[in-house]
Amino acid sequence: MLAGPRGARAQEAVATPDTPSTDTRDDDETTAPAPEFVDPTFGPRYVIEDVVVRGNLRTKTALILAELGLAPGDTVVASDPRVDAARFRLLALGHFLDARLSVERGKQRGGVVLLVEVEERGTFVINELYPSTSAATAFWGGADVSDTNFLGRGVNLGGGFVASTKPLVVGAERGLGLRLHGSLPERQGPFGFGLAATALYNDGSEFYRQSGADGDADPGRFIAANVRRAGGDVGATRTLTRAWRASFDLRGESLSAALPATRLRTLPGGTTTPIDFDVQGGDSRVATAALTLDYDTRSDPVLPRSGARVVATLEGAPKPVSSYGFAKALVQASIYAKMPHGHALGLHLYGGAILGDAPYFDEFYIGDLNVLLPRRALGMSFSTLPSHNLLRTSIAGHRYDDYAGRVLVEYAIPIWRRRGFVYGGEAFAAAGILGMTSDGDPAVTSWRTLPVDLTGDLGLRLDTYIGIFTISIANALSRSSF
Amino acid sequence: MRAPRFALGSALCFVALAVSPARAADELPRRTTGLALTPTQLVASVGLPDLFGPEDRERLTSGFVTRVLLRVALQEEGTAEPVALAFQRTEIVYDIWDERFRLRVTRGAGPDVHLEARTPDEAIARATSLWQLPVADAARLRPGATYVLAFRGDLNPISDELMADVRRWIVQPARGERRIGTGDSFFGSFVSFFVNPRMDDSERQLRFLSQRFDPRQVRALTPPGDRR
Repeated sequence: MLAGPRGARAQEAVATPDTPSTDTRDDDETTAPAPEFVDPTFGPRYVIEDVVVRGNLRTKTALILAELGLAPGDTVVASDPRVDAARFRLLALGHFLDARLSVERGKQRGGVVLLVEVEERGTFVINELYPSTSAATAFWGGADVSDTNFLGRGVNLGGGFVASTKPLVVGAERGLGLRLHGSLPERQGPFGFGLAATALYNDGSEFYRQSGADGDADPGRFIAANVRRAGGDVGATRTLTRAWRASFDLRGESLSAALPATRLRTLPGGTTTPIDFDVQGGDSRVATAALTLDYDTRSDPVLPRSGARVVATLEGAPKPVSSYGFAKALVQASIYAKMPHGHALGLHLYGGAILGDAPYFDEFYIGDLNVLLPRRALGMSFSTLPSHNLLRTSIAGHRYDDYAGRVLVEYAIPIWRRRGFVYGGEAFAAAGILGMTSDGDPAVTSWRTLPVDLTGDLGLRLDTYIGIFTISIANALSRSSF
Repeated sequence: MRAPRFALGSALCFVALAVSPARAADELPRRTTGLALTPTQLVASVGLPDLFGPEDRERLTSGFVTRVLLRVALQEEGTAEPVALAFQRTEIVYDIWDERFRLRVTRGAGPDVHLEARTPDEAIARATSLWQLPVADAARLRPGATYVLAFRGDLNPISDELMADVRRWIVQPARGERRIGTGDSFFGSFVSFFVNPRMDDSERQLRFLSQRFDPRQVRALTPPGDRR
């Protein structure tokens, strides 16, 4: 009657009636930690004689068998954790709505045929949409899409584009950005490495203030440099542990820049100063190598309640291989903590530094820091809007910089859980402070000369059957940036 | 100036939703529960056969284990923390040669009990029935206070870590493809379309509350109920 020691015993101390747990799950009335089923000895023992896969109309059977981790000749017990693991590995491919394993009698007692039944899902994904408008550019739009199971082989292949009308900035041209990207998951890559490659082509204008005060977004105060970028990057990824992942990327780009004849900015006092275009006129090239570490323990990637994600990247561009010699470090972190009533508190940190001479598109851009401004679309900016300068500091004069930091605090309140079409939704409010600077900026002599600003957001984040949506003030403002 | 109007609308929406009292916990159904007091313990009896849907019933014969976890929390009305917790877990496996179901039932820190069932319905009934489950020491109940039992049943519960991993892989199917750099969204993107299968921490969940009760009104059970 009695089984041997079981792993779940460790949890019984907090789950028995005499010792109530103090753990309070978000919205769980029982508030008890789930005792685990970890004894793999219960039930009959099977010898797998054959494996049969059903339901895969697009996905190659070989891909499923490779992911399964169980093969003819293997012995499994009915409660073997490898069975659950196999199911979740299949689900984790992202190609299936469901995957089920069962057994049928084999040729002899103890022998079984392992049946793997899968229900495929659509694997066409819209990663990003870029419709927007600004005072400088009447419209820009595009999308980034992928097929995550290209030809049923588990290869992720996709592309993105963004195109704009001709900006109102003197000398500017219509913008076009193209991306073609593909990746091979780790299980299919050589030596367990995931492989990724991206080809890029950008042809557009970057805007530089030529006159007027820092806070003046009038496109007539700007001039444009027209820059064409062509190249791409290749990278390898390796999952180190459940939480850690590392990747290494090599990037190469060929640049062709036509700088405007005007090279001086007229300051409000009438004096002039050279414009730093942060790109070399004529032909040049960028070559970098980057190492990225990704740590992710969030309880949920969409509506996290606990855990953290930290992404740190170190990128270097050596001369003379690259026309621009620089080193760039960037750390982004989100840390979540449970709050009473199922609420969550998030702390978002962003910090980066560039040493050397980086092209403008590798520098920190105000629109990427301030969530109330338009972000770059495929690396291109189409707006002349400066930071809103809510603190009346010198931040309005900062568009691209070598050092950047941001601290955001977010409070999230769950609204929906497990109801029909919308699986989950939460209202969130975020507020924070950001700062940017570069070597050679004027010395800070007072609060007013500190290049910092406030930012924030307020809205809804929805996790639905057809994807993830964020409806927020920042999205409204950054995509209609008048 | 569409953006400021939208922003104002969003703010009002946020406030309205944030202060809304409607929460899942407030909408849990009630289910009449058998309650009794032994000389030492409060025991509860209730059935959760609806934890199994038709498909789940069919899958019982897969040849692999089906797991059922039933959790109970005793809560005093007006307090957030539970007074006591209890659970019962059951594993069901169908023996494809003997054509019968074998069950292993464990209550809290108690011993494993092995049972057999001839039909899926019998197996489900045995796995989803709580019969005189000890919930709390009788001495911990305050006469005159109002209590309620919160029940939660989970079919094939999944560990939090595993669920987070699978969710992450499904939501970010292009894992490893792109590193986050300047220009990519870290705080949150506007929209991302894909088929997004729901992943809960178990395949099926059932939650309900017992009727409210005062320990003085709970019938005494003598001699103590039999323990399976």
